[in-house]
Amino acid sequence: MARNEIIAMILAGGQGSRLGVLTKHLAKPAVPFGSRYRIIDFPLSNCINSGIETVGVLTQYQPLALNTYIGNGHPWDLDRNKGGAFILPPYQSSERSDWYTGTANAIFQNIEFIENCDPKHVLILSGDHIYKMNYAKMLRTHIREAADATIAVFEVPWEEASRFGLMNTDENDLVIDFEEKPAKPKSNLASMGVYIFTWDVLRRYLVEDERNLKSNHDFGKNIIPRMLQDQAKLTAYRFCGYWKDVGTISSLWESNMDILDRPEELNFRDRDWRIYSKNPVKPAHYIAKNASVINSALTDGCSIYGTVEHSVLSNSVTVEKGAIVKDSILMPGVTVQEGALLDKCIVGFETIIGRNVKAGASVKGKSRFTSPYCQDQITVFERGLKVRDKVEIPGNCMVEIGDDGESNELIEYTFRVR
Amino acid sequence: MFINAMGLILADHRKINLGDLSRPRALAAIPFGGRYRIIDFMLSNMVNSGISQIGVIALSKYKSLMDHVGTGSSWDLDRKQPGLNLLPPYINTANVDRGGEADDLNGLLDFFRAYPHKYVIVADSNVIFNATFDEFVSKHEESGADISVMYNRDSTRYGSPSMILNLDRRGYLRDMMMDPPKPSATRCSLGIAVLDRELLIDLVSESIARGDRDFSIDGLMKLYKQYRVRGIEYKGKVLRINSIPTYFASTMQLLDDAFRNELFGSDLPVYTKVKDEAPTLYGEGNTVSNSVISDGCLITGEVTDSMLFRGVTISKHAIVRSCIIMQDVFVSEGVELENVILDKNCVIRPGIKLVGQQDYPVVIGKGAIV
Repeated sequence: MARNEIIAMILAGGQGSRLGVLTKHLAKPAVPFGSRYRIIDFPLSNCINSGIETVGVLTQYQPLALNTYIGNGHPWDLDRNKGGAFILPPYQSSERSDWYTGTANAIFQNIEFIENCDPKHVLILSGDHIYKMNYAKMLRTHIREAADATIAVFEVPWEEASRFGLMNTDENDLVIDFEEKPAKPKSNLASMGVYIFTWDVLRRYLVEDERNLKSNHDFGKNIIPRMLQDQAKLTAYRFCGYWKDVGTISSLWESNMDILDRPEELNFRDRDWRIYSKNPVKPAHYIAKNASVINSALTDGCSIYGTVEHSVLSNSVTVEKGAIVKDSILMPGVTVQEGALLDKCIVGFETIIGRNVKAGASVKGKSRFTSPYCQDQITVFERGLKVRDKVEIPGNCMVEIGDDGESNELIEYTFRVR
Repeated sequence: MFINAMGLILADHRKINLGDLSRPRALAAIPFGGRYRIIDFMLSNMVNSGISQIGVIALSKYKSLMDHVGTGSSWDLDRKQPGLNLLPPYINTANVDRGGEADDLNGLLDFFRAYPHKYVIVADSNVIFNATFDEFVSKHEESGADISVMYNRDSTRYGSPSMILNLDRRGYLRDMMMDPPKPSATRCSLGIAVLDRELLIDLVSESIARGDRDFSIDGLMKLYKQYRVRGIEYKGKVLRINSIPTYFASTMQLLDDAFRNELFGSDLPVYTKVKDEAPTLYGEGNTVSNSVISDGCLITGEVTDSMLFRGVTISKHAIVRSCIIMQDVFVSEGVELENVILDKNCVIRPGIKLVGQQDYPVVIGKGAIV
């Protein structure tokens, strides 16, 4: 096989615990996003649109949904004879068998896969960011600068800078220092978690890092600082455009709403940079007489008889007569029954919101379902629930199945979701 | 499932003409129902019946049909042994001078001989329903007929052209009439037949020997004097497309909940080519009522009782009533449309008003700028 210029490795094994029940049954990259998509569609589509046709997807936490979603990579044109999409779970070998203990360790454990592809460069991506980016341009910078590593950075507002891992650079955009969430930021260039490494260099550092028992085996915490210490050439690649980490309930909600409020930024209608996704095989959606759909995004298989306002609906959602859905995100197959009101809610796969339920930001009161993961009055429902008729659920709640049994004061019954 | 049959879809029909809609493409490739083409329904019915070898035969203008079905991967027909066989008319120096009416029949014979299946299901492309052929084939098998044809009886007016069948008490075909002035029966052919593959090879070979250049379901049925041709009733809901008015009326049927549920609500999926469009965005101040809308649209105007295909833009203050608007059409500000069919890629400039009648909708051809 001819030598690959570059291959991509997507780190998709993280649990995303801050998303609570949304990632109880599936890994974060498989979480639905933006009506038609899942989070991992963004790095996968960016890869194929950038001409990168060998993509390893490293899975670990709840991999079933992600594995079946990616399949042979066909929806992204990654069903190639040469290259394609590869699911790379942790494995057992004669010397050792280990879970992936960190981002760097995950790549270390797949050195053999990468060697088989024999690339000059390796692109490391994470499966939890929403953005459209041409990695080929970044690779050109990396080659032109003859860098050992190129790190994509994004200018964030100074007041928010301390929430990110920041790159301090010199006037030539060479990285001189890296700080993880510093109290007093010296730079506002946040690392996007997108790295291009020259493979020979990265390989050396991965092997060395693996021998260091004190290491967390993490790119941000160990590999990058170690390279800086050795005065390796690290270049910052400035990215302008839309980029968002969707690691929390609030940021997931905000990013979905950005599709409605700032449609020109992610611009899904741009045919030169399509985001591909697996097709649900459903008919076009239907808006009934007397229904109202304002400022919202909808996709195939939806049937709307009620009111939908400023919301993002995935495929096959039904909103019955008299129901009101406002500022909400409904995942595939959700049913909102007659007279229900959802205000700032995120509802998991196929959950049925009972008649006259009132939930979310506009409901006053306290609930034992209040969760520290839910902020900004957002209420989240686990998948596969039938929520009892007429219950009232305030904001900041996480409605889920208890450990004790399947039903409780909010949940009438639960069912299996495929 | 697991019926021992192969499929053949006739993508054109010599007697059916949909004017501007069929001018650039075969009948089977006419867009229908928001995200589909007419052929998707028959292909899906066959695939859902477990048929994995399907031939599609076109007379002419098959480019858009080929673009659409491609390798057949959307129907899981991209197989090692070809699942989808596009059988275009075979033109060579020997037949090109025969007025372009190519002899598709030789290619057809090769296709029938290439596979070992017991039966062939042959289908026209002007009916839309969602069902498997399991029952059809098993009834054919039980009856001992040579050829079985499917019909339904949901109306006395089927539009033109339609083939009315006259069956005897045991279901055998006794007479058939195209658009009879005074229909004595209400059984209308659905243009679907099942017969032994061996018998079909004989029939086609005879046609070639006789110098016939045509192959049609009606032609098969006309053999009722020599062979036992039996009718089998289909009781589900059917849409028939044989003219612009029936195309328009059939589309409007899809706005009916009960009808849509029967066509799409079962566990038999209707497959089509995937387009990876964006989700549809609804702006502020739009009003959409009783309409089917596909992905990738941008709607800021008013849409009532209409069918929108993928990637349609309806601008502010535009009013769309009882219209069929195909892929990537751009409707500018202040436009008023009623009973209009807009083919793909049309652009309607600001302020234009187009009004058709329900029985006679205005049709704007592909890519027109109005």
